[in-house]
Amino acid sequence: MTHPVFVTQLDAYLDGELAAPEAGELEAHLRVCPDCSRLERRRRTLSVALREQLPRYEAPDTLRARVRAALREQSSHAARRRTVPWRALSVAASLVVVAVGSWQLATRNAGSEAIADQVLASHVRSLMAGHLADVPSSDQHTVKPWFNGKLDFSPPVFDFAGRGFPLLGGRLDYVDGQQVAALVYGRRQHVINVFLWPAGRGRAAGSGAREFTRQGYHVLHWTTPEYTYWVASDLGLPELRDFLVLVQRGDAATR
Amino acid sequence: MEPNELERFEAVVLPHLDAAYTLARYLMRDDHDAQDVVQDAYLRAVKYFGGFRGEGPGAGRPWLLTIVRNTANTWRQRHRADALATEFDEERHSEMVADDHPEATAVAQSERATLRRAIDDLPPEFREVIVLRELEGMSYKEISDVAGVPVGTVMSRLSRARRRLEEALCPASEDC
Repeated sequence: MTHPVFVTQLDAYLDGELAAPEAGELEAHLRVCPDCSRLERRRRTLSVALREQLPRYEAPDTLRARVRAALREQSSHAARRRTVPWRALSVAASLVVVAVGSWQLATRNAGSEAIADQVLASHVRSLMAGHLADVPSSDQHTVKPWFNGKLDFSPPVFDFAGRGFPLLGGRLDYVDGQQVAALVYGRRQHVINVFLWPAGRGRAAGSGAREFTRQGYHVLHWTTPEYTYWVASDLGLPELRDFLVLVQRGDAATR
Repeated sequence: MEPNELERFEAVVLPHLDAAYTLARYLMRDDHDAQDVVQDAYLRAVKYFGGFRGEGPGAGRPWLLTIVRNTANTWRQRHRADALATEFDEERHSEMVADDHPEATAVAQSERATLRRAIDDLPPEFREVIVLRELEGMSYKEISDVAGVPVGTVMSRLSRARRRLEEALCPASEDC
């Protein structure tokens, strides 16, 4: 028979958590009690099996990216809070210093900065679990019709898988006070979000792309006669520019 | 979070992502839920980091795992109905077998599958002490901090958890 007093101490003993006097007593008992020492052997066998066979999991890259994105978002909130007075001051200063007429340009730029912030926030949010695509599909003929009835425009959707930028899906998003189409493309482990909506009247069309950089993300913006485009990704700028050229050519080919 | 705080967070807490994910996997028994729990736990960790005063490279791990453990508990309570419905999920169990390394022998494979099933069938209070002790190698004191129970409770939970695993691997009547 086994001895309850020793059995309760056995695990602490094997884990090296039993005080020396008790450990000495237990060892002495194990030498003379075959039932308790059989129990000890079973525990040791189990311990080896657990250590050898219980898998440790490595966090997947997607999780790593999500955690980092969440951290960046946290720190950028703080950074924005800190920089707001300075930005306000610089806007005020530019209004004073700069001649009348250029204020229009300044406010338009401030507007772009604000939209770039929104685009980036949407991009980061999309990386969180289950938010990337409402219609996860690599088939442009599935993604494009999905927007029917959800938007009052039909966004041009392409699959650049042959060029290393596969289509991952699409979703509805909300930027600059309106519903917009968000198309999701991939590049290796990177995600690219393309936001687009009909170009408003009076906006300069066909101007070159503007580039914004925020906390390691790049945001590109350009307009065509029909659409306002915003692109966000953590992909390197040279590759993102390649992607931009593909989208611009694709867009031009639809007209 | 100030830049220097963020730097400290990245040095002290971020390196324990794998440990956090492993604990969450065992507690949630589902990859998707585990990822959500870990992300949620990191957001909480950022929030509470101001109050964390641990020193040394290892100090962040028990602190983070405490948050992961509590976050997982909150999730399980919130989704209790789902959890009960999937308690004995046939698909999950067959997936476990498929996960095994191909080079392992058939015997080792079935033993491994049996062991993982036995772990999954333990109550979460037992699962967490097994993971913290056997995989993370934590002391009883550290486990007692993470699980929020006295050291004596850690000891008895470990003992009971191991007995149940032993029974699953090798019934007491047999000599394995």
